[in-house]
Amino acid sequence: MSTSAEERKSLPVTVEKAIPVTYDLGNLAVFDSNTLDRNDLDSSNAKREEHIKTLTRDNVQLMINQILSLPIKNSTESVNGSSGQSANVTLVQLPDPTTDLPREKPLPKPKAPTKWEQFAAKKGIKSKEKAGKMVYDEASGEWVPKWGYKGANKKLDSQWLVEVDDAPKKSGDELIDPRNLSRAERKKLVKKNELQQKRNLKGAK
Amino acid sequence: MIRTVAKRALDKKEPRLVENTKQALFVTGKTSTQVLHDAMIDLGALKKPDLKRFNKKNDVRPFEDAEPLEFFSEKNDCSLLVVSSSSKKRKNNLTFVRTFGYKVYDMIELQIAENYKFLSDFKKQTFAVGLKPMFAFQGAVFDTHPVYKQLKSLFLDFFRGTVSNLHDVAGLQHVIAVTVQGDFEDGEPLPNVLFRVYKLKTYKSEQGGPKLPRVELEEVGPRFDFKIGRIQSPSPELEKEAHKRAKQLEPKTKKNVSSDGMGDKFGTIHLGKQDLGKLQTRKMKGLKSKFDQTELDSETEDYVNEDEEDLQGGAEESYGEDFVTANDIDVEPPTKKARK
Repeated sequence: MSTSAEERKSLPVTVEKAIPVTYDLGNLAVFDSNTLDRNDLDSSNAKREEHIKTLTRDNVQLMINQILSLPIKNSTESVNGSSGQSANVTLVQLPDPTTDLPREKPLPKPKAPTKWEQFAAKKGIKSKEKAGKMVYDEASGEWVPKWGYKGANKKLDSQWLVEVDDAPKKSGDELIDPRNLSRAERKKLVKKNELQQKRNLKGAK
Repeated sequence: MIRTVAKRALDKKEPRLVENTKQALFVTGKTSTQVLHDAMIDLGALKKPDLKRFNKKNDVRPFEDAEPLEFFSEKNDCSLLVVSSSSKKRKNNLTFVRTFGYKVYDMIELQIAENYKFLSDFKKQTFAVGLKPMFAFQGAVFDTHPVYKQLKSLFLDFFRGTVSNLHDVAGLQHVIAVTVQGDFEDGEPLPNVLFRVYKLKTYKSEQGGPKLPRVELEEVGPRFDFKIGRIQSPSPELEKEAHKRAKQLEPKTKKNVSSDGMGDKFGTIHLGKQDLGKLQTRKMKGLKSKFDQTELDSETEDYVNEDEEDLQGGAEESYGEDFVTANDIDVEPPTKKARK
């Protein structure tokens, strides 16, 4: 490392190798399969560290040459969000890693089919095309959501006139306010759906 | 509330299509030494920030009983474990364990030989924390010998950090060099593996032009000579399972688009069969469709039609005259015209 800056300028940036080295640029790795002299690398050799260093330097030089010839993207990135400073960052686009490394965990399992999906598959029922959430309201001339806030399914709840059966189906039904009936029915459906959802989740595990 | 927190913690551990960076866990063994402690600190410096450390000593012997390690792996969600132990037979021993789905995938023992040097011994400015290192694997055995292949896979897996396809040029700061101590033949003891870390220094070079610099290295440590001890390689089934790739992540092949060796793109276009009957040839009077040579039977048909028209009588004719178009007149044979 005693060479001055002037001398370094004239040093080569290319390296000759008997067997060309291979790269895995996605992992920033270089693989050199040239023969290594055992005597050079023996722990009794005084110049051992020098040997390793020059060998590594050559390989790193080759890899740096490869990396810098990859497509380069310049971008300005704010260094400190609060101070508003920005610096120019030069990014290289690396290819995908080629070395096959084991995964940490097995591949995620596909989601278990719900009870309805099982039934539909058995009966050969195809899923309907998504119709969208909004529906046209003829009375007001506006598009309103089918459910949710100001949803179209709440129209029945706020009727000023409610149809009542001639005779109550069960004894005690006459005590229930017929105005609340449709709302209660809607809430019951929500509860039922929640229950089914829970059951499906339990079955999946 | 507690239930949702626990659920979130469990969800984080769920297997994912694109996996997180593998976390390392440094476990101090019952017979650990100061050297091993310092070595683990230095290896941790290369792995930061994806690591956890155990400070208390744990009675684990990976090759005898790997169950506690699997337990640690699951509890801490770490798939890279390093266990330190030292004995008369295996002095200053680090066991590198990889797990797959919280079960031991492979294990390898690396003993630190005498001439080690720690980060603190170099007293130099080192690499910044959390940068992706470069790797240089030197020795043909890394591609041929199963043990060294496993070592290569281990070191790459351990230190490579986050995988991304964009990399900051300024972040190319240090290189991990793994060198085999000389080539060897079958039957000889496995040569040591030399683990060195260098910092890059780049200089402007006249030969490289403005783009390519001259690279020089400076050793920053740690420096270890690893002697290979016991090994446990993965079973073929486990290996196959662990190397499975998700089908969803594979790039979709585009139909009818190909490229040649020069990088030129080719497209294949599929056309229907061409109808030669409709082909426009030279335009002249003689080639008009009305002069087409039709077969005999079509002529007889014409006569039949005429007869039928005659049979239908005057009603047809009375309307007919109003609706006759120029086209009709043209097509009808001249004899009929004369009769009208």
